[in-house]
Amino acid sequence: MTENTRNPRFAPLGPPLTRADVLKGMGALACLPLAQSWLVRPSAAATAPDAPEMAVEEIAPGVYVHHGRYELQSPENLGDMANTAFIVGDDAVAVIDTSGTAIAGKAFRERIREITDKPIRYVINTHMHPDHVLGNVAFKDDDPEFVAHKNMKAGLEVRAETYLASSERMMGKAAMEGTEIVLPTREISAKEVLDLGNRKLVLEPQPTAHTNNDLIITDEKTGTLFLGDLLFSKHIPTLDGSVLGWLPLIEKLHGRKAARVVPGHGPVSMDMPESLNDEQRYWTVVTDDIREIIADNGTLEEAVKSAGYSEKDKWKLFDVYHRRNVTAAFAELEWE
Amino acid sequence: MLQHTLGRLSRALLPAPVLAVVLAASLAAPVPARADVDDWPMLHAAVFQNRDIIEGDGVVIIDAPAQADDGALVPITVRVPPEVKGPLKSLTIVLDKNPVPVVAQLHFGPAAGEGGERRFSTRIRVDSFSHIRAVVETEDGKLHMTKGFIAAAGGCAAMNAKDPTAEAEGMGKMIVKTFPPALDSTPIWEGQVMLKHPNFSGYQINPNTGEMIEARFLEKMTVKRDGELVFTLDGTPSISANPYFRFTFGRGENNDLDVTMKDTDGTVFQAESKPSGS
Repeated sequence: MTENTRNPRFAPLGPPLTRADVLKGMGALACLPLAQSWLVRPSAAATAPDAPEMAVEEIAPGVYVHHGRYELQSPENLGDMANTAFIVGDDAVAVIDTSGTAIAGKAFRERIREITDKPIRYVINTHMHPDHVLGNVAFKDDDPEFVAHKNMKAGLEVRAETYLASSERMMGKAAMEGTEIVLPTREISAKEVLDLGNRKLVLEPQPTAHTNNDLIITDEKTGTLFLGDLLFSKHIPTLDGSVLGWLPLIEKLHGRKAARVVPGHGPVSMDMPESLNDEQRYWTVVTDDIREIIADNGTLEEAVKSAGYSEKDKWKLFDVYHRRNVTAAFAELEWE
Repeated sequence: MLQHTLGRLSRALLPAPVLAVVLAASLAAPVPARADVDDWPMLHAAVFQNRDIIEGDGVVIIDAPAQADDGALVPITVRVPPEVKGPLKSLTIVLDKNPVPVVAQLHFGPAAGEGGERRFSTRIRVDSFSHIRAVVETEDGKLHMTKGFIAAAGGCAAMNAKDPTAEAEGMGKMIVKTFPPALDSTPIWEGQVMLKHPNFSGYQINPNTGEMIEARFLEKMTVKRDGELVFTLDGTPSISANPYFRFTFGRGENNDLDVTMKDTDGTVFQAESKPSGS
């Protein structure tokens, strides 16, 4: 009999796992084999990497935004691949998204502290993706409320292990130093207002689109609208929710007035509604092409090869994400 | 434990029960794969009782992406070229490194068809970089195998529905379609079956309780054309959520397809396609 020395990757079916086990990554549902045994390790992993600058720009009085890079996670960028922001009220500060590692989140926090020493009362996540939430831990000592769409807790919990493992695989162990999952403590299930002291933030949970836990924020004082990953510019949009939900939502957002809008990926300050046009076109083209293939009894494989390629030169990271987008959209559209 | 398991498996016969046994063994002693270990010898013994297998002779071909776009939804197509004569007995698909390495096993009936290219497509969950194998048993009892290699990442997390609420609401919806060939004279038709079903592997967590969601996956599918068996399929959680199958079958009188699916909860789903309008 062949001796098969496979490593444990799953817990034997025994006592149920607790959330704590999951969050600490106690190997129970380590769906991916952990990095150490065989994956190519980035050469920069040996020493502590330099923290990313996380520079911010004041796009409106008291509203500061950091422009995330148009890159995949790497040991060099420490997960700095999404826009993050903070808003300063008379009494307190709210942070909107915290970037992709504890190190990046910490650097971002240092930028905040260079501008204000007011207490950071809220850390708001626009949605569950690792490049928006993995820096949350850098704010734990501020004892803020971690605020998110009511679906985010469950969505993040279930993916926590994989996010940590795949982030480590992409960035190396050193880049992930101190990074852990911090779940929301305050769930938003309907329109809600937070007050930073003479400064109201309006939080509105959205129906499933980019993810099933998208949350948008409006700074009433300046009319600045934070759309999170409901808005992509320059960086190819990505789908982890419902394209059939996203398209009508874009239509609805077209009717909204805002002095400026901050995307999850793209220039730090954009105009409404023009900023929505590119992604609306992208999803429309993808959906139309796929529907045509389905009507022709075509397959997923065919769609992945041919749907939406007219968009190829219009987006950064197209080659990384487009096929996955088509896969997700096809799996949704074939049920129409 | 493993010794005992393999002992049990080696006594199993190739037809339907073997899948249940392999599955039970996998779930009872889930030992995951290390990339540097060749699992094939163990699988060859457990699934095929170390029978002779002819590899790469062109009797069976597999189309699978070298790089998976989404580890939880990897489309594969198994093809048996028209030159291969005679009815096929069975098809087994294996993903070496998956927690449940046997993906599916089909046993063909009189309505499976021949006289053209025979195909079976589905979508699978690929846990990590792995060989994928398709093994076909021809009429003469010989086993033929082809293999490919799929690079995948994150197949597990994406096992979870993008919108669990929406998924739960739509569950059980089933679509069966038939596609006639371009030429009336072609003896091979194509059918497609889709089922809205989470196909839980038993390795996912319920975020509200922190406990494992019980396995609930498609266990058996029976496809009949005009009342005659095309094939039965033994399923496993290595098949993606919302199981999808496209397959060829032998042309018949009406080409009415009747499909029954049963999951591990015992829930039965049934649907048909009646191109004849009968």
